[in-house]
Amino acid sequence: MTHSPIPKISLQSVGKTFTVRPTKDAPAGSTLTALDGINLDVAAGEFLTLVGPSGSGKTTLLDLLAGLTRPDTGKVLLDGKEVTGPGKDRAVVFQQYALFPWRTAAANVSFGLEGPGQDGKRLSRRERAEKARTYLDLVGLAGFEDRYPHELSGGMKQRVAIARSLAYEPEVLLMDEPFAALDAQTREQLQEELLRIWRTTGKTIIFITHGIDEAVYLGQRVAVLSSRPGRLKEIVPVNLGDRTGDIDIRSDAAFVEHRHQVWALLHDEVLKAQQAGHAKILPDGTAPDEAPQPTSGKAA
Amino acid sequence: MSAPTLTTDTHSTAQAPATPTTAGDAARRRRPAPATGLSLLKQGAQNGGRALWRPGAILLFLLLWELGPLYLAPSSTRVFLPPLHDVLGALGALIAKGQLQNHLVASLTRSASGFGIAVVSAVVLGLLVAWYGALDRFLNPLLEVFRNTAALALLPVFTLLLGIGETSKISIVAYAAFFPVLLNTIAGVRTVDPLLIRAARSLGLSNFTLFQKVILPSAVPTIFTGIRMAGTSSILVLIAAEMVGAKAGLGYLIVNSQSSFLIPEMYAGILTVSLLGLAVNYLLVGVERHFSRWRTAVGSGNG
Ligand SMILES: Nc1ncnc2c1ncn2[C@@H]1O[C@H](COP(=O)(O)OP(=O)(O)OP(=O)(O)O)[C@@H](O)[C@H]1O
Ligand SMILES: [Mg+2]
Repeated sequence: MTHSPIPKISLQSVGKTFTVRPTKDAPAGSTLTALDGINLDVAAGEFLTLVGPSGSGKTTLLDLLAGLTRPDTGKVLLDGKEVTGPGKDRAVVFQQYALFPWRTAAANVSFGLEGPGQDGKRLSRRERAEKARTYLDLVGLAGFEDRYPHELSGGMKQRVAIARSLAYEPEVLLMDEPFAALDAQTREQLQEELLRIWRTTGKTIIFITHGIDEAVYLGQRVAVLSSRPGRLKEIVPVNLGDRTGDIDIRSDAAFVEHRHQVWALLHDEVLKAQQAGHAKILPDGTAPDEAPQPTSGKAA
Repeated sequence: MSAPTLTTDTHSTAQAPATPTTAGDAARRRRPAPATGLSLLKQGAQNGGRALWRPGAILLFLLLWELGPLYLAPSSTRVFLPPLHDVLGALGALIAKGQLQNHLVASLTRSASGFGIAVVSAVVLGLLVAWYGALDRFLNPLLEVFRNTAALALLPVFTLLLGIGETSKISIVAYAAFFPVLLNTIAGVRTVDPLLIRAARSLGLSNFTLFQKVILPSAVPTIFTGIRMAGTSSILVLIAAEMVGAKAGLGYLIVNSQSSFLIPEMYAGILTVSLLGLAVNYLLVGVERHFSRWRTAVGSGNG
């Protein structure tokens, strides 16, 4: 999907290394390569899903895109310009909702509207409330404006989080396993709604998930990351034809085939990770199998 | 949590007189030996007992205070431990003469001033310490030393340096109230959910806005816990300070009554102190609860 001249998002041989705190086994400390040589272009308006074994660096990649961290090697480009920090042109939806518990649903949604917007203008209190209502309505939560997060169900909280990230009208939506904590029914419902929102707003969406079904169902392409260090193993284009119909896409032959393809790729990686002993990861983030590299060598 | 129990209670009391036989039958079927009347009595006693259970210990204590000195203690002790009605009489007399009010106002003014100074300065310093790691590393050892020095141990120092006037008393109250607020402010800022900080950061918030919109609101309930603790300790320390050197205040009332051998007046002063402590605590618990409203779900989920 590189038919537009400048991709919305472009990752150019991006690598990210973490310094692991000194432990008993490695008193000098060591480094951990979370991402290595990632090259990926995402077109404007594309819906890309990202799968990979646990610890393969999906969240790390999302943080780089959000501008929360900087890459150690390579470049992250947005509209051809290097990302230097967070900004209101991108929004992040986290797995654990991350709502502000002391704010009502409406106040949470208008959080990103306070302060100067992308065009430098400030909205009045009335305008903010109006927008919050509009976006709560969009995610199907009209009438819940004055509820506090602890008064909402998990699905509702995630809807509020989505409304909050949509409210300040970012061009890119970065979602880190947003539906993982929800029950199957709510998840399906929200997937449906996310697709609807994507179609109506034309946002570029990068969606991380553990679910192969979810990845194939939502994504126009599914990017598969390898186990640590995270490299881009393959990008699977998904072609399911017209999805607006009433048919059950998930039992469609094409869907099943794509699903199997992604499953096989991922299964390989999970096996590899297990054989390497990656299943046993210590609380400090190191895996016992991993030969710790001396800090000085890699960082330089 | 108490609601379901309450409904079962009213249900059974309403039904018991209407259908005594069924209740008795049920009891007999379960346990054949005891008499029917006894089980009804037991139930009635249980319902009445539950209403009395909470204030029960206090009532018992007051009863002991009233009757103990009259019937149990030797008359020599009775002088030092007058029965409750004597103490209440003395309290009434103190109020009628307006003396109690004067002492109360003196104490309240001092503790409120010291408490206010402590809260403002401790919150400000706490926010600074929690935000600037370097300041924390620098100040922490010193704060640790002061925090673990009992405020009352420093009372002579305060008196020597600031005299026995208002300044020294307000200062020691401020000192005692300072540390709970400081430590809780630091803890409140430190325990802000990192995910919320990430969420706010992803919006490109500046440090100042992040502080104002995320860290402070999230720390407020913990800060108010510190304020409540400070309120209790400020009264505690003030009474002690007033006992050592003062011309008014509840602590002075207690010590002065003792040395003038006005024993019922002394107990009236003590009673006032504990009532004042209770009132302050209830007030501050209410304030704390008000500011932790959004956390209520967490609390009831655990309890
Ligand atoms: N701040 C950090 N310091 C040290 N190591 C880190 C840090 N953040 C992540 N890592 C390590 O980088 C690797 C990738 O982490 P990341 O959170 O990106 O994985 P993930 O693919 O999102 O996993 P999951 O699917 O379980 O969420 C892990 O091995 C993790 O231990
Ligand atoms: Mg992750």
